[in-house]
This record gives sequence, C-alpha cells and structure tokens, in this order.
Amino acid sequence: MGAGVKKERSFPMRSPVNWTVLGLVIERSSYGFELWKRYERLYGDVVPIGSESNIYAALNALKDKGLIEEVEGSRTIVVGASRQPKPHYRVTEEGVRAYEAWVIAQAREHSRRSLQFARQLGALAQQPHMALAILERYERACLDDKGARIPTTVEFPARVVPGLGDRLASAYGRNAIAATLGWIEYARREFAALAGGKDPHESA
Amino acid sequence: MSLLELRRVSKSHLHRSRRVEVLREVSLEIDVGELVAVWGLRRSGRSTLLAMAAGVDQPDAGEVLFDGVDLNGRGATALGDGVGYCRQGVGVPNGRTVTDNVRAGLLARGVQVPDAHLRAHRALERVGVEPCGELMLGDLDGAEAVRVAIACALVLGPRLLVIDEPTKGVDLLQRDEIVLLLRSLADDGIAILVSDGDGSGLSDADRSLSLAGGELRGKTSPQAGDLLPLQRARGRSTAA
Repeated sequence: MGAGVKKERSFPMRSPVNWTVLGLVIERSSYGFELWKRYERLYGDVVPIGSESNIYAALNALKDKGLIEEVEGSRTIVVGASRQPKPHYRVTEEGVRAYEAWVIAQAREHSRRSLQFARQLGALAQQPHMALAILERYERACLDDKGARIPTTVEFPARVVPGLGDRLASAYGRNAIAATLGWIEYARREFAALAGGKDPHESA
Repeated sequence: MSLLELRRVSKSHLHRSRRVEVLREVSLEIDVGELVAVWGLRRSGRSTLLAMAAGVDQPDAGEVLFDGVDLNGRGATALGDGVGYCRQGVGVPNGRTVTDNVRAGLLARGVQVPDAHLRAHRALERVGVEPCGELMLGDLDGAEAVRVAIACALVLGPRLLVIDEPTKGVDLLQRDEIVLLLRSLADDGIAILVSDGDGSGLSDADRSLSLAGGELRGKTSPQAGDLLPLQRARGRSTAA
C-alpha cells in the first residue's frame, strides 16, 4: 500500500454519489454499467448523477479508500470472447462499517434539517401572512408529491429481496406526508392566531 | 360535468352544547375513474364530508350532485343506485356468513338467490377474499374486513365508491394491498373517494386533499392535465 493511498483513505468522503454507489455494491456486487442502470432507476430522481462516467469515478474513489475491492479474475480477458472484460466490485468489511455510519449520520442530518426549517419559519412571527403563504405552498407540494407511490410495475431481477428499497421508500414517503400535513396544520393555527393579533397559547 | 360534485357544502354539529362548523362551503369534484383521497386529523370532519358525498347525510347548505342529480332529495336511496358507501369497519357480527352479508343488498333489491349468490362470489373474488365466503364477520382480520366491506358495496355495481378510512385497523404491511385494490377499482372506471388519517391512502390517489378548519385544500377538481383517469376508465364495465 503506497503513501498516496493512505492519504486518500484519511480524507472523509463527502460525495453522496459515492456513498450511494457504495450502497448499490453492498446490495449486490456488480460492474460499472449495471451499477449505473440501477443507480438511475433507484436514485436518479433524488441524487442525479448525469453521465455513466461518474459511476466509474465513484468506484475509483471507493476502491482507493478500501471500501470496495475488485473481484478477482473478473477483469481477465477470455480468448475468443467478443465482449470486453467487466471488472466486478464487491464491498469490503470496512465498506459495510463505513456505510452503516454514514446512513446513521444521514438520518441525524435529516432530523437536523427539519428542525432548522421549523425554526426558520418561526422567525416569521412578525410576518404571519408570509409564513401562512409558505405553509400553503409546502402543503400543496406534499399533496402533489407522488414519490410515495406503491411500487408494483417495476421488475426486480436478481435482487436479494425484490423491491425492498422501493417499498421502504414508499412507506417512508407516506408516513412522512401524514406527519408533515399534521405539522403544517399545527403551524397554520399558530400563525393564523398571530395574524389575528392573538397569542396562540393564550387559552392554553 | 363531473360524476360527483359538492357545491359550497356547509355542515355543523352540536358538540358538548357548542355548535361546531365542520365544513365551510366545501367544493369538490370527482370524475369517473378517479381515486381521490382526503387526509385530515381526527375530528377534522373527513367522515362528515364522506357521508355528504355518499348522500347518507345532508348538508346544512350547498348541494351534492351525483351524475347531475341532487342527492339531497334522495337521501340514502342513492346507496346501491350508483353510490356505494363503506363506513369504518365491516359492521357488528350478525351470525351470518360473509357471503350472506355481501348478497344481502342484492336480495333486498329483489335479485333471485342463485344470481345474488353468484354475484356475491364474484365481488369477493374481485376484492381478493373469495376464500372467506363461509366465515363469519367476526372471524375476519382487519384487511379482510375492509375487503368484505368493499365487496358489499361493489356487488351493487356502483359508479361511485365512498370509503371512510379503508386502511384504519389494517396491519401495516397489508395497507399497501388495500390501496392497490382501490387503485385497480378506479382503473376499472369507478370513481373512488376515501378518507385517510395516516397517509396510507394518499400514495396512489390521483388527487390528495387535506381537510382542516372546515376547509378542503389541494386540487378540488380534476385539472386539464389530470384527465388520464377519465380516459382510462371510458368504456369499461363497473359492475362486479
């Protein structure tokens, strides 16, 4: 192992694309093109990646950090074969541990951002009509959100548990919508009271 | 003209000696083949709204039109005559089998026993609980009870199905199946209005609305770009 690789490993990996690709490799060992297709289907709408070449850049970064490794023999050229060899990648033990830590950190980040949004809206106590308008737009976006549709038509060939990620995402979306709509109604009552010149908790 | 149209409907209830305005000039249109979900907190008036839409309760003000005809003058007679209504739960056990319950509506309308039995069987099959036909209502789990309730309405060949909280009391993992059943019924051309308290019913709806403070928010009528359900439904049979 050279000094360059050690230096590379010591840097925290911030790219969400790299972490997402690592998740795909954890789900199933694979090669670049297949990973790109899977990425596009599962994450293309939430973490857009653009070209296929970004997958290879991510794979290189993950390999340099020791989070994935090339499957031995997958690059071997078979004499007489018409196709180019496709290097397959699998996750290392370090990769699985790092992914677990990153997913937990993501959940915390999501919670932190929600709190941040709620408090930022609270800054509009003197402009309740503006806050009410924001809430209305937010509610409309939630009601129009089709991200929580139940997956039915997509086929899931060769996946360990077919469609699990899609089902989890769908269930998460539905629960989140209900919770968000409930929160919007709470916030609306607070700001409506302020707009009417009342202390929203005066009767509490 | 939409299949169901609520025009500036208002309704108030007496709650602990106070009059509470549950619905304030609520308007809503639902087209053939549309699945529309109304989300609301407890006591938001979502069940009241659905009872109005099904014609089983009358508004204090405003109109409820089904296929252009005011339901106000027809009361509960609209049920089974184009409108199917499922209140929460399948009803109390009554000592009769599921099939008996499903065919009861047909027999009450003078359908002969063999025909009623066949149609009840088909309705149960359509909603996926055909093997439960000889069970008693009390033997059903939450998801089966909802499906049977839908079958009771479906057997009469409704063009509009109004269902109060179809996923309430249903096991978490089975809620998806209920929602997908409703989606498929809408795809068959039935207009469906459901209420929802936990978000489960919103996912596959053509339009999701929220009800709070007596006001209905969201797309309360089919938009120009949302006519796919209508086109999808045209020409399809709705009878079970």
